[in-house]
Amino acid sequence: MRKTFRKTLSLVLVLTTLAIALSACSGDKKSGKADADSSKITIGIPQDIEASLDPHKAVASGTKEILFNIYEGLVKPGSDGNLNPAVADAYTVNADKTEYTFTLRSGVKFHDGSTVTVEDVIYSIQRCADANDTSTLVAAFLNIKKIEATDDHTIVITLNDPDPNFLVYMTTAIIPQNNADPDNTAIGTGPYTYVSRSPQENIVIKRFEDYWGTKANIEDVTFRIIADGDMIVMNLKSGSIDMFCRLTTSQVAELEGTEYDILEGTMNLVQALYLNNAVEPFNNAKVRQALCYAVDRQEILDFMADGKGTIIGSSMFPAFGKYYQPELVDAYPYNTEKAKQLLAEAGYENGFSFTITVPSNYQQHIDTAQVIVEQLKRVNVNATIQLVEWDTWLAETYSGRQFESTVVGVDASVLTASALLARFVSDAKNNFVNFNSAAYDAAYAKALASNETDQVKYFKECENILTEEAANVYIQDMANLVALNKKYGGYQFYPLYVLDAAALYVK
Amino acid sequence: MKYVLKKLGTMIITLLLISFLVFAAFSVIPGDPALSRLGTNATPERLEQLREEMGLNGSLMSRYGTWLAGFVRGDFGKSYSYNMSVGALILDKLPITLCLSLLAILLVIVFSLLIGIHAAKHEGKLLDRIIVVINQMIMAIPPFFAGILISALFGLGLHWFVPGRFVSYRENLIGFLGYLIAPAVAIALPKIAMAAKLLRSSLVEHAGEDYIRTAYSRGNSTKGVLYHHALKNALIPLITFWGMAFTDMIAGSVVIEQVFGIPGIGRILITSIANRDYPVVEAIIMLLATLIMVVNMLVDIIYRYADPRMRQSNG
Repeated sequence: MRKTFRKTLSLVLVLTTLAIALSACSGDKKSGKADADSSKITIGIPQDIEASLDPHKAVASGTKEILFNIYEGLVKPGSDGNLNPAVADAYTVNADKTEYTFTLRSGVKFHDGSTVTVEDVIYSIQRCADANDTSTLVAAFLNIKKIEATDDHTIVITLNDPDPNFLVYMTTAIIPQNNADPDNTAIGTGPYTYVSRSPQENIVIKRFEDYWGTKANIEDVTFRIIADGDMIVMNLKSGSIDMFCRLTTSQVAELEGTEYDILEGTMNLVQALYLNNAVEPFNNAKVRQALCYAVDRQEILDFMADGKGTIIGSSMFPAFGKYYQPELVDAYPYNTEKAKQLLAEAGYENGFSFTITVPSNYQQHIDTAQVIVEQLKRVNVNATIQLVEWDTWLAETYSGRQFESTVVGVDASVLTASALLARFVSDAKNNFVNFNSAAYDAAYAKALASNETDQVKYFKECENILTEEAANVYIQDMANLVALNKKYGGYQFYPLYVLDAAALYVK
Repeated sequence: MKYVLKKLGTMIITLLLISFLVFAAFSVIPGDPALSRLGTNATPERLEQLREEMGLNGSLMSRYGTWLAGFVRGDFGKSYSYNMSVGALILDKLPITLCLSLLAILLVIVFSLLIGIHAAKHEGKLLDRIIVVINQMIMAIPPFFAGILISALFGLGLHWFVPGRFVSYRENLIGFLGYLIAPAVAIALPKIAMAAKLLRSSLVEHAGEDYIRTAYSRGNSTKGVLYHHALKNALIPLITFWGMAFTDMIAGSVVIEQVFGIPGIGRILITSIANRDYPVVEAIIMLLATLIMVVNMLVDIIYRYADPRMRQSNG
C-alpha cells in the first residue's frame, strides 16, 4: 500500500515537472509568432522611469526621453535643434523680446479625446514653474509678468525683462486642466498615448490615432528595462529587444555580424575631469592647466571608443551651434613638458596625489578615469580612482561638494547656453566645482542682460574664461552608439536627451 | 504547541532586530532619498520641501517608530520610486519570485531523489562514479554563471527560449512559467548535486546497518529494503537540506533575477537600495526574513514528525 503511494507520488512529481517543461516550449512558440506582427518594437532602457508620470515633475533624463513621446509643448524641439510649432501653430515675438504671442493650432486633441483650450495652456504654464526643480526653468518662469488669452486661440505672454531665449521654455508640456491625477494618468497631446507600466519590467505606449500631425509609424512601443549592463548584448542577440542606445564600443564589437545596424551620434554631454577649484592643489590655476596639458584626450577617445566622440575644450558641445567654439579644443595640446613646467612653477616639482571620484554605474566615465590615471603618472601626479554609488555621488560629491575631482558628463536640460554655463557663476547653487571668477560672473551677467547677438558674444566670453582658467579638464562629447535591428529604420539623433519613437518605422 | 509559541516569540524578536538594523544602515550609508529623486537639478528649497513631505526630517528613532507603527497595522508605506503602496508593489512582484523558487525546489526534490537513489543502488560501479564526478563539478558552479551558460547555450544557441523576454504572469501564465524554467534550472543545479550527494552517502551509510541486514533476512527484496527501510531514514537529513535550499534560493533571487532580467522581488530590492527607497527595502527584507524563518520552522516540525527520536528528546 505504502509502496504504491510512494511510486504514485514520484510519478506525479516527475509528470508535473515534465508538463511545465513542455508547456514552456509551447509558450515560446506563441511568443515567437508574435514577432511576425510588424507594427511593434521593443526598446531596451537602462533604468526605470521616475515615480510620477507628471511631465512637469520629471527630472531624470531617462524619464524625459520617454515622456517626450507622450507630451508636447506649444513648440517642440526637432532633431536639428530648431523649435517647431506643436500645440501652437504660429508665434510672434515683439522687437524688444518681452511679448510672445502664440496662436493655438485648431483641433489639437488630448489623449482623452478632449480638445486643447487656451485655459489648458495657461494652466500648464503656470503649473510648471511650481512643480519643476530645474532652476534655470524656474528663473525663466519667474520672469513672466502676465499670461492671458486674448481670444479662444491666442495666448499672450508678457515678460518683465527681455528674454530672447524664452521660446525654449515653451517646450513645457501642455496637459489638461481637468486631469485629477497627473502622477498616474498621463494625458498629453504627443504622438503616443501611455498604456501601462510595471516596475522594473516595462513601460508600454501606443500610437495616438487622433494626433494632429504626422502619425507615428509603429503602433506599439514597449520600453523594457535592462538594469544589468552585462545583459544588454544577450538581450539584443536573442531578439528580446530591438534597440538600445548609448552602447559601449566593446558591446558594439560583440554585435558584429548580427542583425543589428550600429548608428553613431553624440551623447550631448560635457565629459570632463571636474576639479574642485576650492581644494588644494586645484585652487591653483597653474595646477589645473598642467593637468589639461598632461591629459591626452585623443588617447582617451581611442582607448574608449576607437576614436569616436568629439574632443571639446570648454563647457559647450557642438550641438549648440552658434555658441560652440571649436578653436577652444586646441587650447591645451598634449604636452608633458609644459605640464611639468607648470607644476614646477606652482611648487609641485615632485608631483602630488589626489583622488578621482567616479559614479560606479557609468562604465564610460570609469574607463576615462583609468586612462587619465595612467597619463598623469607621466608627469608624476598620482591619482587614485574611488568608485561610489550614484546616490552617494549625488549626495557627497555633487551636493556636498566633498571631493577632489570627479569624471562625469554634464548635460543640458534645454537648448540654451545658460543651461550649461549658469553653474559656473561663483554663487550658483549647482556650482559643484566651486569655480570662482569675477570676470566670469561679469560676463555671464552681461550675457543675460543683452540682446540676441551680444548674448552669443558674452556667452562665448564665458566659455573662453572657463578654458583659460582651466576650470576643469574638458575631455569630450562622447559617441552615442545605437544598435537598431535591421528590420527597423528612422532613428533620429537629437541634440537633447530624447528618444523619438514616432520617427521609427518598419522597413 | 509550546514549541511553536516559543519559536514564534524568537521570530518576532529577530524580525524587530532586523528591521532596526536595516533602518540604522540607511542612516549610516551616504545618500538621501529626496536628493535621489530630484537628481542634479535639485534646488535647496525644493529639496527641503520634499524631505519634509517624505518625513525624512525626524530623528532616527522617531522615524523608526512611525514606520514600525504602520508596519504592525499592515501599512508598509509608499514607495518613493514607484508612486504606489509598498504592499501593492510587493504583491505584484512576489508571485514571480515565489514561482521561481517553488519551481526550482520542485526540480531539486525530483532530481536529487532520482539521482541519489540511482547512484546508491549502483554504488561503486562505473555509473555511480560518473555521477559522483559530475556532481562534484556542478556543485562548484555558482548560479549566476550557470545562468549565463544556460542563456548562451539554450537561449542563443538552441533557441529553446529567448533570454530576456520575460512575460508577465498577468499576460500569459504558461509563457511566464516557461520563461522561469531556465533560471530555475540555474539555481537548482548546484542544489540538486549537493542533495543527491547527501542522499547517496546517507543511503550507503544506512545500507551497512543492522536493521537493513534484518530486513534482508526477513526476505525483503533489494528494492523493498532500499525504498521502504533505508530511504525513510536517509531522508531525514535531506529534509533539512531541502528547507535550507529553498530559503537560500529565495534570498538568491537577488542574483539570478538580474541575470535573466526577471522583475521580481530580488530585482526590486537591488534597485530600491540604489534609490534609497527604504520603505520598499524594509518591507522586502522583513518578508524574506519571515519566509526564511517560517520555512525553517516548518522543516523543524516535519523533522520531528519524521524522526520520533527528536520528539522524545526535546519534548
